Amino acid sequence: MRALINFIIHNKHWFVFLLLEVISLVFLFSHNGYQKSVYFTTANDVVGSTYNVISGITSYLHLQEENHDLEATNEQLRKEVYEMRQQLKAMQQDSVKRLPALPLKYDVVSAQVVNMTLHKANNLITINKGEADGIRPEMGVVCSRGVVGIVYMTSSHYSIVMPLLNVNSKISCRLRNSEYFGSLIWQRGNADIAYVTSVPRHAPVQKKDIVETNGYSDIFPPGLPIGVVQKIGDSPDGMSYFLRVKLFANFSTLREVSVITNYSSPERRMLEDLTENPVKQDSVLISQEKQKQAELEKAEKMKAEKEKAEKEKVEIENIANTDTVR
Amino acid sequence: MNSIFFTRLFRLFILLLFQVLVFNHIHLLGYITPLVMGYMVVRMHRGTSRIAILVWGFVTGFLFDIFSNTAGMAAASCTLIAMIQPVLLEMQVPRDSAENLIPSFSTLGFWNYAFFVFLLMAALHSCFYLLDAFTLADLTLTLTSILGGSVLSTFIIVCIELLTQTKKEKTHH
Repeated sequence: MRALINFIIHNKHWFVFLLLEVISLVFLFSHNGYQKSVYFTTANDVVGSTYNVISGITSYLHLQEENHDLEATNEQLRKEVYEMRQQLKAMQQDSVKRLPALPLKYDVVSAQVVNMTLHKANNLITINKGEADGIRPEMGVVCSRGVVGIVYMTSSHYSIVMPLLNVNSKISCRLRNSEYFGSLIWQRGNADIAYVTSVPRHAPVQKKDIVETNGYSDIFPPGLPIGVVQKIGDSPDGMSYFLRVKLFANFSTLREVSVITNYSSPERRMLEDLTENPVKQDSVLISQEKQKQAELEKAEKMKAEKEKAEKEKVEIENIANTDTVR
Repeated sequence: MNSIFFTRLFRLFILLLFQVLVFNHIHLLGYITPLVMGYMVVRMHRGTSRIAILVWGFVTGFLFDIFSNTAGMAAASCTLIAMIQPVLLEMQVPRDSAENLIPSFSTLGFWNYAFFVFLLMAALHSCFYLLDAFTLADLTLTLTSILGGSVLSTFIIVCIELLTQTKKEKTHH
C-alpha cells in the first residue's frame, strides 16, 4: 500500500499530464456538437469583440479592393436593371395581363468578417452577427462574388462560418450550362481552388464553365455562382469527372459577407426529418394536432374578445348618443 | 514566488497578443505558421515543479485555442512540450549549474540553447499539425508545415531572446 502511495506521489506529474491531455482531446473531439462549446471559440463575446476592434482597424487596409469590387458589382447591377427595364417595357406592351411577380424568396443579413484562417485543414471564419440578428446554424453565407460557406455555430452576437475552404465542407452544385450536378469539396493547400466530384462522365463539360449552387439543399437558392472550371480530370475510379474549380470568392481579402436568413423552410425540413426517422412521425403528428388545437382556441378567444370590445364600443356610442340627444 | 507568477502572467499575455495579432497571420509559402506561444514553456526555469509547468503549458495552449478556433489542439501540444521540457533541459545543462537556472544563451550557450528550443518547437508543431490534419494522407504538406514552422518559430524565439537581452544590458548600463 505504502509502495503504491509512494509510486503515485513520485509520479504525480504523469497523472496531471494525462489528465490535461485527456481534457484537451475531449475539447478537440466534442467540438462538433455546437452550442456546447461555443464559449471556447471566437464566437465568445470577449474574443469576438476583441477581433471586432482589430478588424475595424485593419479594414482600412483593404478598402481599395473592396471599392473595386463594389464598383464592379454596381456596374453589373446597373446593366441588369437596364435589361430588366427593357424586358418590363416589352411585357407591359403585351396585351395579356401577367400575374404579379412572386415576392423574393430570401432575405439577407450583411455581416463583417472579424477573424479567419485560410491555411489549416479545418478553416473557420468568424463574423460579427449572431442569433440576435436572426442567424442560425446551417444558413448559407455569400459575398458579392459568390458563395462563401455555411454557418456552423452561433452565439448571441457572433457566428462561426465553415467556408468552402474546409476539408469537411461539401456543397452540392451544378454546371450552369448543362444542369448536371456534383458536389464541391476542398483539399488542403490552395485557398482559391476547390474540386467538383461525381459529375457523370457523359456530361458535356468544358473549361470556363460556371459552377453554381443547384438549390437541392435548402441552404442556398439555386443559381448562386461558386467558381469556374479550370481543369477537367477523372476521378480515381474513372466513373465520373474530377473538376478543378477556381473559386469566385476571394477569401484572402474577404470582408463583407451576407447571410441568407430565411431561405430554408421549416416545413420542408420537418418533412425531410419525417422521412428520415419514421418513428418520430406519430409524435410530430400529435404535436401538430396540439398546435392546431391551440391555434383554434387562440382564434376563438380573440374572436370573443373582439366581439366584447365591439359590444362595449356600441354601448359607449349609445350612451354618447343619448347624452347628445338630451 | 509571487513575482515569478506575475512575470509569467505578463509574459503569457504579451506572447498571446503577439501570437494572435501577428504570428497567426504569417503564412510562409502559404501554410507555414509559427506557434511562438510555446516560448512560455521554453522559459520555465530549472527546478520548477513539473505540475506547474504542465498547468502553465495547458493554459497557454487553451487560451490560444479560444482565439484561433482550434479547440484543444494547442492545449494538447503545449501540455506535451511542458512534459518533455524538464527532461530536455536536464540533458542540455552543463554540470554544476545553478538549481534555478533559466534556459537562455548565457546559461546554455548559443548552439545548445538553439537546439533545445528547436527540439521543443519540433514537438509542438508535430503534435499541433498532426492533430490538425488528423490523417497521414497528405503527409508532405503536414511535414513541410511541421519542419518550416519549427525552424521559423525557433528563429523568432532566438530573435526575441536577443532583443530582450540587449534591452536588459542597456538598462544595466
